[in-house]
Amino acid sequence: MNIRGLGVVFSHGRGPAALRETLAAGWRAPREWVTRHRPSPLPAYALRPDELAEQGCLKTLRRADRFSRMAALAAWDAVQDAGPAYTASRDRTAVVIATAFGPHVTTFRFLNDILDFGDTGVSPTSFSHSVHNAAAGYVGKLLELHGPTVTLTQFAFPFHYALLLAQAWIESGLCDAALVGAVDELGDVMGYICGHRLRIPADGRIRPLDFAAEPTAVPGEGAAFFLLDRAPTSSPYGALESVSFASPPTSGSAPDLCIVEADGLNGDEGPYRVARQLGAPLAGYAPLYGSLLSGSGLSLACAAVSLRAGAIFGADPPPAGPGAPQRILSLRSDCSGRTAWLSLARSAAATQ
Amino acid sequence: MNTPTRSVALVGVGVVSAAGRGVAATLAGFRAGTRSPAPVSLFPCAISCPVFEVPGVPTEPGINARTFAMAMIAVKESLAEANLTPETLASRRVGVCLGTTVACQLNALEFYATLRATNEAPLDAVDSYLKGNLADAIGRRLSVTGPCVTVANACSSSADAIGVALSWLRLGLCDIAIAGGADELNRIPLTGFHSLSVMSPEPCRPFDRDRQGLNLGEGAGVIVLETDASAAARGFRSSLRLSGYGAAGDAYHMTAPRPDGAGLESAIRAAMMDAGIATADVAFVSAHGTATRDNDKTEATTLARVFGPSLRFLSTKGFTGHALGAAGGMAAVFTALGLREGWLPANAGFQTLDPEIGIAPLSAVTPIAGAHGLATALAFGGSNAALVISRADARVAPGRPPA
Repeated sequence: MNIRGLGVVFSHGRGPAALRETLAAGWRAPREWVTRHRPSPLPAYALRPDELAEQGCLKTLRRADRFSRMAALAAWDAVQDAGPAYTASRDRTAVVIATAFGPHVTTFRFLNDILDFGDTGVSPTSFSHSVHNAAAGYVGKLLELHGPTVTLTQFAFPFHYALLLAQAWIESGLCDAALVGAVDELGDVMGYICGHRLRIPADGRIRPLDFAAEPTAVPGEGAAFFLLDRAPTSSPYGALESVSFASPPTSGSAPDLCIVEADGLNGDEGPYRVARQLGAPLAGYAPLYGSLLSGSGLSLACAAVSLRAGAIFGADPPPAGPGAPQRILSLRSDCSGRTAWLSLARSAAATQ
Repeated sequence: MNTPTRSVALVGVGVVSAAGRGVAATLAGFRAGTRSPAPVSLFPCAISCPVFEVPGVPTEPGINARTFAMAMIAVKESLAEANLTPETLASRRVGVCLGTTVACQLNALEFYATLRATNEAPLDAVDSYLKGNLADAIGRRLSVTGPCVTVANACSSSADAIGVALSWLRLGLCDIAIAGGADELNRIPLTGFHSLSVMSPEPCRPFDRDRQGLNLGEGAGVIVLETDASAAARGFRSSLRLSGYGAAGDAYHMTAPRPDGAGLESAIRAAMMDAGIATADVAFVSAHGTATRDNDKTEATTLARVFGPSLRFLSTKGFTGHALGAAGGMAAVFTALGLREGWLPANAGFQTLDPEIGIAPLSAVTPIAGAHGLATALAFGGSNAALVISRADARVAPGRPPA
């Protein structure tokens, strides 16, 4: 599947250009994140509020919560980014969204209503926005997409399953294109949970290539959306070759880079050592956007931006030659040591 | 026999709802026409609208445990019907795709109230939630290692979960897929739906002129799907198949269906195309039929437009209440049972034709002789889904060719 367009919203900006600038600039310290239920701030890769302002979408998104807004803006950007390369009918474009926690901030806002006003005093708007698929509803409405619309949730590999589903639907003819995204948000309750359950480093730095048994994590949030199709023209972002579990993809050329998605959320990061066996340079980009269970979306965005830029950023060791990367793998491991792989390759006729 | 090559065998069903625990009890309840909605007793709540509770659910401690327990009841029944033992499951690639709404949310009111008041709260509920992703939890309990994901698509969750499982089998990701969904009665959706003014103060009356809204329910509906090769290898012959899935988005409103039903019609037509059948081939429709003014008007007028005025259709919400994320899975089970048993229950609660709808659902237990049944689901966010379930001896045209 070709990646026709890309949209990202993360702590350092919005859009593929901002992501490329962040990849080139390297690590920057996270923000001080003040949360209601902690006496002191936490370091976190939280979005700036101004990242979620968009004049072109204001009417449709006027009631949208932060979660839906992140998703809708990233999806909007992916379609804008594709421009005329997006040739599929909007009636035959699917929306598949992956999330670990859904719009939990709105869920707790709704619980506030029950606690403050009783069972009969709650807000219908908060309720309708507290369901996981509210974001998909906004994406569909904003972009007038009428294809199948599904939200998947899981704590291990939700984005991988979203990509697999999009692939199946496109190959079976249920749709011609799919907007596939991953989104998760930070909030006060999540801050409390993170403060108690994560090893958050004092310097605010995630170390994905340490393969630590007790790794450190820095909470993050954001959204990454991809407009995918099977049209017979190449894309500068490359094509998603495969989604595989347990073992790395066996077909294709040797990778030029393997992205290690270790971000400190899943405990022992020893299983990521398998990436070393590929012999390719390794890079871990979670330090740029933070730890989030749906972070595979942002990782794939980094791979796509790298292919488009014809450059590898922040690899260890640095690539041997100046050539543009042709194939990039991305590896994620869950708390049980299970692994999942994404393989992205440059399209044959792709140009920068 | 000429079965569609893209369909898969439907080898087992399992169900639990207020209509009955298990297939036999459900069918008996359907035939007798009994239903017993009452104010909620599972938790304190100031809302007195009737709901459909499932009695006697054995629940372990933990958040969303009731959803898990009902899902396991349905999963066990479906696996037993499919003659799938733990040993057989261990020898196959088995996927789990389940839909839910309540069980994917951190609806931990007690935890949150404590945290809000004191800035301290034990994290037991959070830990339970993190271990309780429905599909993952079922997969762990069964010790299966195939693809596993939870669909959170509001009220179409489990219909879409069945569609996702169908795609896995077609892609070759697994040999067997356990699909459907579960949801428990919970204070959060109860207060939420009440705030939307869509809950009926009396037992619900789907498609009736005087319907006043929905009753919430709970339960689980699960089907087991298997590739022909896998079923043949263990010598299992099924009388049913899942032959089509279609879905479409309204792109219209967060809670209301698109009035012209265009999204639902697209989903229905996509499912029939996927199954390789025409409207005349559909013997009946197990409709979403929540008994809200908007849903029933949109859905029934769309069904009439697509299938014509003589369509046989019904909603089972009058027996089960609206079980949210479980509704589509339960509708799939009831569709399968209708084809297998050769009869359909009455649309409980219906008395008077709604002139705005123009067609009436089944008003009595009705024999059915057709080969294909269709189940529909509509959801918040504008999602629409449709499933085609067929008798294995049905003659059909090939489905949509691979792209």
